[in-house]
Amino acid sequence: MALTLLDLALTFALLSLVAFGGMPAVMPELQRVTVDVREWTSPSEFVQLFAVAQAAPGPNVLIASLIGWKAAGLAGAVVALVAFCAPAAVIAWWVAGLWERFRDSPWRLAVQRALAPLVVGLILSGGYVLGASAEGGWRIWLIACAAAVVGFATRLNPLWAIAGGALLGGLLLS
Amino acid sequence: MAAMPPAVTPPRSLTELFLGFLSMGARSFGGVLPWAHRVMVEERRWLTPADFAETVGLCQFLPGPNIGNATIVLGKRWFGVRGAVVAFLGLMALPFVWVLLLGALYADFAGNPTVRAVVTGVGAAGAGLFIGTAIKLGRALARKPAALSLIAGCFIAVALGRVTLLIVLPVALGLAVLAARKTWL
Repeated sequence: MALTLLDLALTFALLSLVAFGGMPAVMPELQRVTVDVREWTSPSEFVQLFAVAQAAPGPNVLIASLIGWKAAGLAGAVVALVAFCAPAAVIAWWVAGLWERFRDSPWRLAVQRALAPLVVGLILSGGYVLGASAEGGWRIWLIACAAAVVGFATRLNPLWAIAGGALLGGLLLS
Repeated sequence: MAAMPPAVTPPRSLTELFLGFLSMGARSFGGVLPWAHRVMVEERRWLTPADFAETVGLCQFLPGPNIGNATIVLGKRWFGVRGAVVAFLGLMALPFVWVLLLGALYADFAGNPTVRAVVTGVGAAGAGLFIGTAIKLGRALARKPAALSLIAGCFIAVALGRVTLLIVLPVALGLAVLAARKTWL
């Protein structure tokens, strides 16, 4: 138990430091570590925990708590969430002041421009990995495509896509 | 002075800070960012819209959960360490409870095929929203071959090759900074 908690703390602390672009960009790595390396959940269970975190109000980072809870109960939920937020928080604390000072630095602009395509590639990978982990074949991709269109072509609240996914899932996947 | 529009005033106490972030977290269905704007800029007038945008920009640039970083940056600005801790706890307290309750509820009904189907459908929609977000963000980069190569490279390595981000990120970031310095991005 204590070992699992330590494992959760180290895993999520490391994820925190590479999470440029936030939770969506680190999703493929989270899935790889949780499912393939640590085997805390099965691929389809990972998608379901992700879905529960999506359906609940609050920051999407709470999927960390669900994975921690799955691996080691309530203590695991707290440890995973804190470990995922703390290293990034320390960086945010120190960088907040520097950010202003380097407002016009060519390096700040270069790093900002450099991160943009990487974040796009990683979020796209996150979508692919989640879709590929779910059980349901082409039906999964049908729902995902519909939600993607709602996401990029309309100004609707993403909750409509979530509600539509629930409805289509109930009709197509059971 | 009396005719001026009401100016922004930072939270006056830790209690006010806590309650503001609590109300943000509790209501933030479908993403925290729009609610953060509503609470801090419109309802409580802690920040100007420009200040809000600048803070969000910084937090998106930093690693880690964007909105978690925002609690640290803003809490520090207003009340130092105590502010950062209080803002973080305020934001996470209720959503943490909701998500575990929903998780426990789901665990009870996971044997039911209809419940499983509905939840998997929500997961599929979430996957689609990720793809939609990537398309939305990627449209600004569509005319830059270097950017498209980096997007494709990341996707091949991470999604198809399942290479760890601990390798992909430093390599891709090095290449991307190089490209950005040569004004290809």
